[in-house]
Amino acid sequence: MTDKRQFTLALFYCQNIPESSLPERQALEEAYGPSLKLFPIPCTGRLEPLHLLRALEEFADAAYVIACPGGACRYFEGNLRARKRVGVAGDLISAIGLERERVGLVANEDGDPKPLATLAREVMDRVALLEPSPVLNKKDRQKGDPP
Amino acid sequence: MNRLREVLKHGEFAVTAECGPPKGADGEAVIKKAALLRGKVDAVNVTDNQTAIVRMSSLGACTLLKSEGLDPVLQVVVRDRNRIALQSDILGASALGIVNVLCLSGDHQSFGNQPDAVGVFDLDSIQFLQVVKAMRDEGVILGGEPLTKAPDLFIGAAANPFGDPFSFRVVRLAKKIAAGADFVQTQCIYNLERFEQWMDMARDRGLTERVHILGGVTPLKSAGMAKTMKNKVAGMDVPDSLIRRMESVPPKKQGEEGIKICVQTIQRLKEMPGVHGVHIMAIEWEEKVGEIVERAGLMPRPW
Amino acid sequence: MITAEQKPIEEIREMIGPYKRVLVVGCGSCVAECAAGGEKETGMLASALRMAAKMEGREVLIEEITLDRQCVKDFVIQLDEVIDQYDAVLSLGCGAGVQAVAEMYPELPIIPALNTEFLGETRDQGLWVENCVGCGDCMLYFFGGICPLARCSKQLLNGPCGGSMDGRCEINPDLPCAWQLIIDRLERFDALDRLERIYPPKAWSKKQGRGPRKIIREDQQRVEV
Repeated sequence: MTDKRQFTLALFYCQNIPESSLPERQALEEAYGPSLKLFPIPCTGRLEPLHLLRALEEFADAAYVIACPGGACRYFEGNLRARKRVGVAGDLISAIGLERERVGLVANEDGDPKPLATLAREVMDRVALLEPSPVLNKKDRQKGDPP
Repeated sequence: MNRLREVLKHGEFAVTAECGPPKGADGEAVIKKAALLRGKVDAVNVTDNQTAIVRMSSLGACTLLKSEGLDPVLQVVVRDRNRIALQSDILGASALGIVNVLCLSGDHQSFGNQPDAVGVFDLDSIQFLQVVKAMRDEGVILGGEPLTKAPDLFIGAAANPFGDPFSFRVVRLAKKIAAGADFVQTQCIYNLERFEQWMDMARDRGLTERVHILGGVTPLKSAGMAKTMKNKVAGMDVPDSLIRRMESVPPKKQGEEGIKICVQTIQRLKEMPGVHGVHIMAIEWEEKVGEIVERAGLMPRPW
Repeated sequence: MITAEQKPIEEIREMIGPYKRVLVVGCGSCVAECAAGGEKETGMLASALRMAAKMEGREVLIEEITLDRQCVKDFVIQLDEVIDQYDAVLSLGCGAGVQAVAEMYPELPIIPALNTEFLGETRDQGLWVENCVGCGDCMLYFFGGICPLARCSKQLLNGPCGGSMDGRCEINPDLPCAWQLIIDRLERFDALDRLERIYPPKAWSKKQGRGPRKIIREDQQRVEV
């Protein structure tokens, strides 16, 4: 990515992901600046497709979810529900002509769970091939902190 | 004189066949089929938009058969007509000299070539039987208003000894008889054991004395046909042993084997108490009906 | 409840195309229950429509609100406060709701976002099935609580037909034969004799044939002092 190209990833992550407490989050936000916006949630089961859509509408070129491994959800099936909801968001955006890959869910590895920083990097690499979103104009990108 | 009614009245083994009308306005096709069946059968069923595929109307084809000297059985399904049209068609048929009527539910419209059509089902087949019986015996339409002239009818219904729920099938037969069926034609029989079980249940309930049961048969043209009937046609019971029998014969000889099986089935039916006739449904193979009737020892017809 | 499904978004976009200020109105009742038109779905649809407009460079105002119900005048009237700001309403109500809103604001185009389907139950999470056709003369007593009009493909009152096999309906092996269900059910409480009688032809006029139906209850009407 060149400096000129602006691309913002909204990342919703489960607070049970290793090394994802407040100081670690702040460190990541400082390291990546406007390219990464992090949103902690108590369980990805709380995620609604609307959160992803609003992120894409307001400020994000891509909106992803980092979930705990399948079977390891503290609330049992929250991460499985999240996957379905990400699918719903993907269906809706592709119906209006946006690439489905602007939304997605990455589950942490069973057995050897990675820290947030590693997973965030993985997702950023994954979305690197996407063009900046045709939904966002200059004004959107100049906005301050998103709602 | 209605041949079918007379034959059954005199306790003779009746023979009926089936004729599917063409998918067009060509009466000639019906007349050709009539020629194949004349003298061989007591009556000829004409199907009513079978499988929900648009064909020449049963009433139209029956009238053509009548003009060719055959006794038709007008099949009427409740899928396409409301009670007004059903009663009206019965009166029209009777005025045209048609006496035999078969009251049916009909294959669902989704099977045919007009799947977006509304399925009328204003009456079901049993209610329709009741209505027709009241038209004949009391000279009234549904609701009691009198007819200027009551139709003379010989009323039939269909029965499927192979459908589920098996135990309830005989209750349904009883209901059809109570509703007004004089005769019943069954779905084609390949599983004689199961048919006999059904006959036993019917006999136990005293039904065989109240209705004339005609066992249905359809000659198999090929092993492929047997398999299709087994897997693709609702309400059909084709035993694997029969398929194996068909497969054991080279393809060119399978038709002959199918006819042999058909004749053997008829011979079994002749010996079964309570079975008063056979209904031969040789779909698109009407030219074989004469041969089947002959080989089953049912020629000449008693009239 | 009444069930519905969202229309394809292309169809919705075509219908709202000419309008510049659209209010997307959701409904918190039946269509929320079947996840078609509730607050969440309304928010998602509005967001997607805004994004689509932006991608095309079109300036359109699209805002959303969800009412408790769209089929009751007293709820719809809450829109009075805001309705003048818009030149069209995209309603995620069922057909009854859409028309009630249209009745209230006859000068405003009210566009349906849903295809209303059937009266049914939530059989399981994510599964809604039709079980009532609103015949106006309920016979569920006779059939053990299983309606043959709604659930038998041929609406037989004296079923089953010859196509019932292995308890499945002839038109679709995924459909249970309603008559098999009725027989099994009546057997459970020893009432199979209810099927021995011949049920007479249905009075369909109670369902259709006298125009759109109406219920009037004077005891429920507003009292004018």
